[in-house]
Amino acid sequence: MPRSKTSSLSPNRSTFEQQAEAEALFTSIGDGAISTDEFGRITRVNPVAQDILGYSETELIGEWFPKKIIAITSDDIPVNLIDRPITKAFLTGRSISEKMYYRRKNGEKVPVSISVSPILLEGKPLGAVEVFRDITLEEEVDRMKSEFISLASHQLRTPLSAIKTYSHMLVDGYMGDITPTQKKSLRTIISGANRMNELISTLLNITRIESGTIAVTLRMVQLERTIDDVIKEVSMMAADKSISIELKNESQASISIKTDALILKEIITNLVSNAVKYTPENGSVTITTLQRGADVLITVSDTGWGIPLQSQDQIFSKFFRAPNIVMRETTGTGLGLYLVKGLVDTLGGSISFKSREGTGTTFYLTLPRTPKRKSTKSTRRTVTTA
Amino acid sequence: MARILIVEDDRDLNNAYSIILKNEGHEVVEAYDGQEALAKLKDFSPDLILLDLLMPIMGGLEFLQHYDLLKTHADVKVLIFTNMENSPEVNEAYKLGAHRCIIKSWTAPHNLARVISDALKTKPKPAKTKATKPKA
Repeated sequence: MPRSKTSSLSPNRSTFEQQAEAEALFTSIGDGAISTDEFGRITRVNPVAQDILGYSETELIGEWFPKKIIAITSDDIPVNLIDRPITKAFLTGRSISEKMYYRRKNGEKVPVSISVSPILLEGKPLGAVEVFRDITLEEEVDRMKSEFISLASHQLRTPLSAIKTYSHMLVDGYMGDITPTQKKSLRTIISGANRMNELISTLLNITRIESGTIAVTLRMVQLERTIDDVIKEVSMMAADKSISIELKNESQASISIKTDALILKEIITNLVSNAVKYTPENGSVTITTLQRGADVLITVSDTGWGIPLQSQDQIFSKFFRAPNIVMRETTGTGLGLYLVKGLVDTLGGSISFKSREGTGTTFYLTLPRTPKRKSTKSTRRTVTTA
Repeated sequence: MARILIVEDDRDLNNAYSIILKNEGHEVVEAYDGQEALAKLKDFSPDLILLDLLMPIMGGLEFLQHYDLLKTHADVKVLIFTNMENSPEVNEAYKLGAHRCIIKSWTAPHNLARVISDALKTKPKPAKTKATKPKA
């Protein structure tokens, strides 16, 4: 005979039993938990909350939550009442999750991840329950991860820099004349070093984007100049396949935008080198720029193999490589466009494309001429203006 | 032609930049960490400093703090030459007055010469306070 399910709503259970169960549940929560009445006065505190905040139960019960439990930003600025998760939960009637800092009784600052849910009865708030977690350790791990990325970036690239610089110096004749065969061999070394460099850059940038630690430095950038630099860098690869690259500015004047020069260059390099890589010999790549209100539109078109229709919804996915490309190009990580999408998002822009297999692809990159500063609440992305 | 101080701990790279810049006709002095750079600056007044960030003894950021670029050397261009792209250290260097950041492993010699030439052409940032007081 199947056993019937019991619940706290069972009519056979007394109110005392239900209260005892709720109390046990509240006490056993592994994170800090505080409940309030409809006025925000604290009605219940579990032991973990007392540990995190340093207050005893008697010091908290009956106190007005926003006044007793002080929330601050990373810069030690008190969080406005209207911006407190508990206020938002009361006002919106929805659960709110955020990260901020609480001030402990002894004055110490503790980073917390907060989740508040309103207690509603027929749409009216009867109170709220806030659950919060001390994330000191997580923040420390993030900081160490970020430091490791910087160090790894430096250490991996230092020997590459020497390889590239000296190879270039030999090619450019700084050490005397060399034969055409020697020059060709050196260009192969430079090409290999460039591929290694690109891979390191891609992996590091992806790690930074995914961990929210990518640094953005805003400064005025002349668009044509950046694109010219990219064209120069990929010109050797294009010349090997007799592919022409053309830049057209469709605006009346040259375009300057306030953005991160290195990230912008990384995006355009990825798009243009992809276009060259996935276009057969004697093809062409065209880059256009257009100022359009508060935005700039950059297009990168090629006469390449195109993206099969059935693969088009996966093109910005991590590690994705279209089947028609895998057949032709064995090198490639499937990370380029995933990275591009992340970088475009970082700069507050958008990217889309149109493609027909066997005809070619056009990528449409839209970037704000002056990016809006994003809230730092949900990300630790560093933004400065140089 | 300009007077350039190279501050780079990797001796091979320091030597390479020195060859490239001397070949362009610049007067070049080399230092291998921030502390040595500060010592050399007592006898050498550069137009431009090519500065690495991660160095032993004294790194690039600490050097910029000691050198007090914004207040007392606003006419000197500092180009950060690093492999730590998009890093908070680069942002910090900009705050301390760096003119531009260049990624070493992406920069070919002819580009280095061009970047330096461009930097030297730009007008200096206005000094935030007056330069050091004249000697009595």
